[in-house]
Amino acid sequence: MNGTRETAAATTAPAAVSTAPSPARRAARFLRGMELLAIYVLIVAVVGVASDRFLSIENIANILRNTAIGGILALGLTIVMVTGDFDLSFGGAVSLLNLLALIGLDKGLNLYVVFALLIVGGVLWELINALLVVRLKMHAFIATIATMTMSKGFIFWITKGSTYYGSYPDNLTYLGRHAFLDVLPANALVFIVMAVAVYLLLDRSRFGRHLYAIGGNSEAATYVGIRVNRQRVVAYVLAGLCVGVATVTLCSKLATAPSTAGDGYQMTVISAAFLGAAAFRVGMVNVRGSILAIFILTTIENALIMLSVPFYFQFIVQALILIAAVTFVSRKNKKGAGPAIF
Amino acid sequence: MPGEPILECERLCKRFDATVAVDEVSFTLQRGDILGLVGENGAGKSTLIKLLGGEYALDSGRMVYRGRAIRWTNPSHALREGIAIVHQRPLLVESMSAAENIFLGKEDVTRLRLIDELTVGEKARALAARYPIYPGLDLQQPVAVLTAGEKQVVEILKGLSYDPEVLILDEPTASLPKEEADRLLALVRRLNEERHLTVVYISHKLGETLALCNRVMVLRNGGNVGVVKREGADRPTLIRMMMNSDLSEFYPPKASSEAGTPLLEVEELRSPTLHGVSLHVNAGEIVGLYGLMGAGMSEVARAVFGIAPITSGRIRLGKTGEVFERTHVDSMVARGVYLVPEDRHRFGLISTFSVRENTSLAHLDRCLPGALLDFARERRLVEAELAKVRVKYADTEQSIAELSGGNQQKVIVSRWLMQECSVFIVDDPTVGIDIGAKHDLYVLLRELTRQGKAVLMISSEITEIIGMADRLYTMRRGAITAELEGEAIHQQNVLENIL
Repeated sequence: MNGTRETAAATTAPAAVSTAPSPARRAARFLRGMELLAIYVLIVAVVGVASDRFLSIENIANILRNTAIGGILALGLTIVMVTGDFDLSFGGAVSLLNLLALIGLDKGLNLYVVFALLIVGGVLWELINALLVVRLKMHAFIATIATMTMSKGFIFWITKGSTYYGSYPDNLTYLGRHAFLDVLPANALVFIVMAVAVYLLLDRSRFGRHLYAIGGNSEAATYVGIRVNRQRVVAYVLAGLCVGVATVTLCSKLATAPSTAGDGYQMTVISAAFLGAAAFRVGMVNVRGSILAIFILTTIENALIMLSVPFYFQFIVQALILIAAVTFVSRKNKKGAGPAIF
Repeated sequence: MPGEPILECERLCKRFDATVAVDEVSFTLQRGDILGLVGENGAGKSTLIKLLGGEYALDSGRMVYRGRAIRWTNPSHALREGIAIVHQRPLLVESMSAAENIFLGKEDVTRLRLIDELTVGEKARALAARYPIYPGLDLQQPVAVLTAGEKQVVEILKGLSYDPEVLILDEPTASLPKEEADRLLALVRRLNEERHLTVVYISHKLGETLALCNRVMVLRNGGNVGVVKREGADRPTLIRMMMNSDLSEFYPPKASSEAGTPLLEVEELRSPTLHGVSLHVNAGEIVGLYGLMGAGMSEVARAVFGIAPITSGRIRLGKTGEVFERTHVDSMVARGVYLVPEDRHRFGLISTFSVRENTSLAHLDRCLPGALLDFARERRLVEAELAKVRVKYADTEQSIAELSGGNQQKVIVSRWLMQECSVFIVDDPTVGIDIGAKHDLYVLLRELTRQGKAVLMISSEITEIIGMADRLYTMRRGAITAELEGEAIHQQNVLENIL
C-alpha cells in the first residue's frame, strides 16, 4: 500500500458509531421474519369466516391433536437440521419402534417399561445415524436413506406386510385419545411442553446457539472452541428423544402397528422444517419456524376438509406452499439458494 | 517476428472497492520476450495477469494485442486469441483424470456427439511427450490423488495444450520439487528459443527470475515502479525496488518500553508441516511471524490454538505457568489465548448470524445470568464492544453479511475482546479491508500491548509486518529462519530470510 495515500485516509477514518435504534428500526426488528405468521393468521381468519365449524372448540382440539405427533417429530428433525445435518429415517424408526412396542405389550410387558424402552430405542436409532454421519462422515442424506430402508426391512420381516394387532392394556390409549376438559388433547400437551423445552434449549441457551453456529459455519464454530462433532452427536441424541416420545404418542393413539405407521408423517415433517426456514430466523431451519410450519400444514389440511375440498388437493396445496416459501427464502438470502442446509 | 510488440498495455487500472489493485500500469511485451514480474504479496501481480488474461475486466486503460486494440469479454476469449494463464493454485476438477482436465471443454466428439475418450488419452500422452516436464506422470489418474506439484504440472500442460502465443506463469515452481522446477524452466527456455513463445513469469524466487527472464518488471502497491534488463539487475536492486520506505506515519509508534515476561513460549513444535518451531511472545510486544505463502505461519497459530495436531513440542503459557503438549481450543480460550484466523469468510464469520450473534459467540457466558441467554444484556455488551473499535453497522440484529469487509473483521476481533485476553494471535487480519479499518486494527493491537498483552501477528504483507512488529520471526518451509529485532527489521533483511 502506498504510504502517503494511506496516511491521508487514516486521519480521516470514520468515527461514526451506531446509536440507539430509531423507532422505525425497532419496528423493523420486531417484524423481521413475521411474514409466515401473518399468512397463518390470515388463513385462519379467512377459513374461520368461510366455515362456521372451523373455529369451534372441537375442531381446534382436533387440529391440536393432529399436530402433536408430527410436531414432536418436527422438533427432533429441526434440532438435527439446525446443525446442518439431516434425517430421513425417523418415519421408519417410528413405524419399527411402534411395532416392537405392541409386540412387547402383547407379550405382557409393563406399559411404562415399554414407553421407557421406546425412548431408549429412539435415542439408539439416532445414535446409529450419528455414528454413520459424524463418525464415518457419510452424507446425512445417504446414511439416513440407508437406515430408513433398514427399518422397512425389519418391519416387513416381522409383519410380512400386514398390520400387526395384539392385546394391550386399556390405559395404553389414554395419552393418544384423552383430552383434558374435552379441550386439550393429552398428546398436544406433550407436544406443547416439548416445544417450549426445545425452544428454550435451542434459542435461549448457549448450547443451542452453538448448534446454530455449527449449522451456519462449522469451521468457524471450531475456531471459537465449539466441539463440533460432539455437539452434532448430541443433536442426534436429542432428535432420538423426540422420535421416542413421538412413538409413545403414536402407539397410544393407534394401538395397532400398520407397517407404514410413521411414513405419513415423514414428508409433512420434512416440509415443515423447510417451510419454517421462511419464518423468524429467515434462511435457517429454526425451532419457532418449524412449530409454526407444522401448525400451518395441519391447519390447511383440516381447513380443506372443513371446506369439503377433495383430499388430494391438500398435497397440491402443501407443495405450492413449500415452493413459495423456499423461493421466498432464496430471494431473501441472495447468496444461497433456500435454507442453509444443502 | 521476434522483437515486435505483441502486447502493449497503457495505464491499466483495476480497483476493488476502496483498494486500488492495479494502478496505471503501462508496459510493452515483445514477441519472444520472457518478462519477469516481481513484487510483494498484494503488489498487484495476480490482478495484473488476470487483466491480461481476461479474468478481470479493466476499469480503465488500453490493451493492444497483435496490433489491434482489444477488450476481453471472458477468459476463454483471451485463450482463443492465444493468451494462456497457468495459475498458482491449479483450477482443476478433482474427480476427473488429469487428461480429462487438460482437454476439458475442447474434447473431440464421436459421430454421436459423445466425448471420444480414446483421443483424450492419446492427445494427453502426445502433449506430455511434447512437453516433457514430468515424464513419469500418469495422466489417467484422477487429479484428487496427485500431489500439489503434480497438479501444477497438469495445470501447465493444460495451458500449453492451447498452443498459446503468450504464456503467463503465476509462481509455477512454488510447489514443484527442484528437479521438476528445473525441467520446467528448461522447457520454458526451449519453447522461447524454438517457437518464440512469449512468457510472463511471476515468482517470489528472485534468483530463478533473474536466471530465466530477459527483463524484470517490479510492481509495488499496484504500480509499475520500473522494468530492468537482466544485465542491469541483481537481487539487491530488485529488493530495493520492491521496498516501500514511507511507512512511519501509518503505523502507530512501536513499544517504547522494554517487553515484559513471556506470556507464550513455543518450544520445538513439530507437526507434519512444522519442523521444530520455537518462539516466544512477551507481555507488551507485538511479535511478527512472516514468510511466503505456505511457509507454516498459520500452522503455528493453529497448533498453538489447538486446531492443528502437534506431533511433538511444548507450549508454555506465562500467565499460569502451565505447559501443554497437546492443546484444545476451549482450554486455550479459557486461559485468554485467542486466535483471529486467516480467511474470515471461511473460518470466522457465521454468515447466517446477525451482528449480535457473531460478536457474542466466543464469550456467551457473559450473556448468561442464569441458564438462559439474556438478549438485552447480550445486545448491550455487543454494542459496547463494537463501539470500542468503531464498527459501522445499522443495528445489532442485521445480518453480518450486510457489513463491509473491514467491519466484519472488526466484529471477529471484538468477538474475542469481549473477555480479557492474555495472548492475542491474529492471522493476516487486514486482507481485503479498507485502509481506515486497517488503521483502526493497528491501533487496537498496539493498545493491547500497552495493556500488557502479548500479540502474535501473522501477515502476508511485508510492509505491514515491518510497520507493526517489535520483534519478527521469519519462516521458510515450516521452520524459523531468523529472529529480527528493532533496527534489524527492514525489508531487505526480511526478504533475504524468507526467500
